[in-house]
Amino acid sequence: MKLLTHNLLSSHVRGVGPRGFPLRLQATEVRINPVEFNPDFVARMIPKVEWAALLEAADTVPKEPIEGYEHDEKFLRKMHHVLLEVDVLEGTLQCPESGRLFPISRGIPNMLLSDEETET
Amino acid sequence: MSDVQEATNQLLDVNLHGNQRSIQVTESAPRSESEHLQVTIGATVPTGFEQTAADEVREKLGSSCKISKDRGKIYFDISVESLAQVHCLRSVDNLFVVVKEFKDYQFKETKEEVLKDFEELAGKLPWSEPLKVWNVNTSFKKKKTKRKKINQNSSKEKIDNGQGDKADERDDKKGFTNKTLDSRILDYYENPAIKEEISTLVGDDLASCKDETDEGSKEETPEVLKFRVTCNRAGEKHCFSSNEAARDFGGGVQDYFKWKADMTNFDVEVLLNIHDNEIVVGIALTEESLHRRNITHFGPTTLRSTLAYGMLRLCAPQPTDIIVDPMCGTGAIPIEGATEWSNCYHIAGDNNPLAVNRAANNISSLLTKSQIKEGKVSWGLPIDAVQWDICNLPLRTGSVDIIVTDMPFGKRMGSKKRNWNLYPACLREMSRVCRPGTGRAVLLTQDKKCFTKALSGMGHVWRKVHTVWVNIGGLHAAVYLLKRTPQAFVHPVEQNGERTPW
Repeated sequence: MKLLTHNLLSSHVRGVGPRGFPLRLQATEVRINPVEFNPDFVARMIPKVEWAALLEAADTVPKEPIEGYEHDEKFLRKMHHVLLEVDVLEGTLQCPESGRLFPISRGIPNMLLSDEETET
Repeated sequence: MSDVQEATNQLLDVNLHGNQRSIQVTESAPRSESEHLQVTIGATVPTGFEQTAADEVREKLGSSCKISKDRGKIYFDISVESLAQVHCLRSVDNLFVVVKEFKDYQFKETKEEVLKDFEELAGKLPWSEPLKVWNVNTSFKKKKTKRKKINQNSSKEKIDNGQGDKADERDDKKGFTNKTLDSRILDYYENPAIKEEISTLVGDDLASCKDETDEGSKEETPEVLKFRVTCNRAGEKHCFSSNEAARDFGGGVQDYFKWKADMTNFDVEVLLNIHDNEIVVGIALTEESLHRRNITHFGPTTLRSTLAYGMLRLCAPQPTDIIVDPMCGTGAIPIEGATEWSNCYHIAGDNNPLAVNRAANNISSLLTKSQIKEGKVSWGLPIDAVQWDICNLPLRTGSVDIIVTDMPFGKRMGSKKRNWNLYPACLREMSRVCRPGTGRAVLLTQDKKCFTKALSGMGHVWRKVHTVWVNIGGLHAAVYLLKRTPQAFVHPVEQNGERTPW
C-alpha cells in the first residue's frame, strides 16, 4: 500500500463519517520501490493531498509545503519518494474514532467490515 | 518476372539483417523503395469502440480512419515505416494488411458459380505489396519479446468474440471454459469446487526471454510457406457458408503460390471478410489477439485489455487524476490504466480476496515484465490494490476523479436479482466518492434495464452523457459515461437504519 493510497482511505465504520480520516498507520514491514520521477505529477498532486494526514503517516514530511514548491526539485523528489516509493507490505490501519483495526497483508489493506458491523 | 515469382522471391529472401533498417521508425536519409510504401491496414476493435480506436490512430499515427460497416473494424493508411507504432496501439485486437477491398461485390446466382469465382479470385489480386508488408512485419515480430510462450502457460478463457466462424485455436489449459461457468453458480469465487491457483510467471518470463536471444541468431530458410484462410461472413443473402468460401478461395491461393495449407502451423494467414456486398481480402499481421496483453492471471470474467483501454479513453483522464475501479476483478482496467496513463494514480479494489490477489499478481507480473523487457530500473507503477466493499467504500468523500468499472452482469457473476439491490447502492456510493463537478464514471454492464432504473433516481448527482453499445462474448452490453454534477454529496439521515434500494 502506497502512502498516496493511505491519504485517500477513510474509515467507514458505521457512525464515524468524516472523523474516520485519517487512519492511523502502523507499518511492520515496508519496501521501497524506485519509481520514475515525474516532477509535474508530484507538483500537481500536492494540492490534492491532505497534508496533515501525510505528515502523520510519514515522519520525513516537512510541516507544510514550502512556498514555490513547484520548482523546488529537492522537495519534489522527497515528496515523490513519500507518496509513491514507500510501500507498506505488512501493518495495520486504525480508525481514529472507533479504534477498529484494518490489517495490511502482502501490501493489500483489507477494509471489509464484518456483517455485524454493517448491519444496524 | 511474373507477379507470383516476384512475390515468392520476396518471401524466400527473408534476411533479418537486411530488413533491420526498414523497421526503424525515425525519419532520416532517403531509403529504398519499400519503406515509402503506403498501405492500408485493417484493425479489429471491440464493437462499439470504433470511434475511440480511430481517435487513438489519429493521435498516435496521424492517420484518419475509415470505420467499416462491418462492425468492429477500422481501416487506415500508413507508410510501412510506421508499422512498429501500429503494433503499439492499445485499442486494437488484431491487425491485418489489406490486399484488396471490394465495395460492391457482385455475387453470381448459384453457389457453384460464387465459389468458382472465389477460387479464381486468388490469382487476380495485387499480392506483392501486402506481402512485402507481411515480410517486414514477420521479421519485426521475431525481435519482440515472446509473449506467446507466456500466454500458453497461463490459464485462459475461451472467448467467442462474435466475429464469425474463425476457429479459436488456443487451448484451455486449466479448464476455465465457458461450460464451467454455470449460471446457477451465483458467485464463482464462492464455489469451493473451483481450485484457485495463483502462480507467478516470473520464471517463464525469464526463460522465454533467454530463448528469444538464442533463436534470433538462428536463421531459417523457408522452403515452402504454409498458410491458411480464415473467412468471416455476415449477411443474409449469401448462398454459401464461410467454410466453403475459405476452402475454395484457399484452393485458389494454393494453386497460385504453391504454398502448403496448414490450419494450425501457418506462416501466412489470409483473411477473407465478407459483409453483405463488401469483401475485404487481407493478410494477418498479428497471430494472437493483443487483447490479453497485460493479464497473466485470468479470472472467470476478465475484461479484454482493448476494451479496458477504450473505456478509460472515454473518460479522458487528465494528469494526476485519481482513477478507481471499485469492482476490479483481475484488475484489467487499472492495469491498462497504469500502463497507458502513468501520470494518473490508479486503485484496484474488490471485495473478493481471490480477485484482489489476482489483481496484485497481475500488477507484479507487469512490473517484472517491464523490468526485463525495457531494462527499466523502475520497479513501481502508480497503482495500488485494496480489499473493500463497493457499497461502503473506505474512501474520502469527493476524493476520486474517475471511476471505471465492469459491473457484474448477473450472468457469469452475481445475479439479476442481486443487481436490483447492488446497482443503486453502487451508484450512490460512487457518487459520494466522486469529485463533484469534474468527476466522471464509465460503467460497463449488460443489465441495462436495472442500470437505467437505478440511474433514474440519481439525476441530482449523476448525468448520463454518452452510451456505447458493445458486444461482450455475444452479450449485448452498454458502456455508460456519466458526469458527476456539481452538487455535493449529502449523507442521508438514516431513520431506522433500514436500507431500501430506491
